[in-house]
Amino acid sequence: MGQMYFLVENEETMTSDSIKNNRNNNKNLTKWFSEIPFLRESQIMKIHYITGVGALFVVAIHIMMRLIMPFNMSLEFENVILNYKNIFYALLLESILILIAIHGFNGLRVILLEIRQTQIWERAVNILVIVAMIGIIAYGTRTIIIANGFSLG
Amino acid sequence: MTTASSAKRIDDNYNKNDRTNREGLRGWLNPLAYGWERVSYWFQRLTGIFLLVYFIGHVYETSSLVSGPDAWAAMLELTQTIGGHLFLILVIGASTLHTVNGIRLIFTQSGQGLGKPGRPDYPYDPTSINNKQRSGLWIAFILAAVAMLYGANVLFSGE
Repeated sequence: MGQMYFLVENEETMTSDSIKNNRNNNKNLTKWFSEIPFLRESQIMKIHYITGVGALFVVAIHIMMRLIMPFNMSLEFENVILNYKNIFYALLLESILILIAIHGFNGLRVILLEIRQTQIWERAVNILVIVAMIGIIAYGTRTIIIANGFSLG
Repeated sequence: MTTASSAKRIDDNYNKNDRTNREGLRGWLNPLAYGWERVSYWFQRLTGIFLLVYFIGHVYETSSLVSGPDAWAAMLELTQTIGGHLFLILVIGASTLHTVNGIRLIFTQSGQGLGKPGRPDYPYDPTSINNKQRSGLWIAFILAAVAMLYGANVLFSGE
């Protein structure tokens, strides 16, 4: 609401220049108050849909890799490590990790922002989901890199 | 009264009103009086949260690979039980439902299948909640059931 006071207090002395300046200031304030200043909500939703559809294809390949041999056999340690040694499959796993982390945590953000709308809540939710997203991607990437490194040993 | 203080009064009233007209989680979870579209909304969010929890668990589970074959076998044992299989069947159903309903929602949000806007006449049925939308929802439920049956067959037969 800070920008509201700013505009109201100055409304009596506004010139065309000051209106332009106020608009710019308002944009900057809006950027500060929106928690992800470089993306509009509509752009975030486009990313949400693109990552969702992308995840559909890569997860389908991931599941099919489990079904090219009897399911129990495909989960044996040697077979799983063989999958990770394949650089294309490792890249596929990394893409699954990134796509689902972005899609999933943004979905969680949307749900949490539907429940409550205050500035502190929105900022806390945005920070929480970004940190969680980066954390899970880092942790999963560590597994992929180390498991892929088994081929070097 | 100055403009700043009147703005503050409006702001205070806004914040006060903002907090009173909400049902919160009760409203979010209430499927009554809203029809199948509300059930779809509800399922999309619940399956989404469930799948996110599974995703985090799956990333943690597969990290046992880096500790060697014994750690992997120990972690795998958790899922090789009837309870573990039933959980995975639920994951299959949730992911299928979330995916198919999600595709329906992408079309809906891009304006497809909503019908033409018209004059609101009694009984005021919205054109956007039509058979196309409902059939999309039923297809999601049917495909989820089929995927769960297939998953059950694979998991319990081990093939």
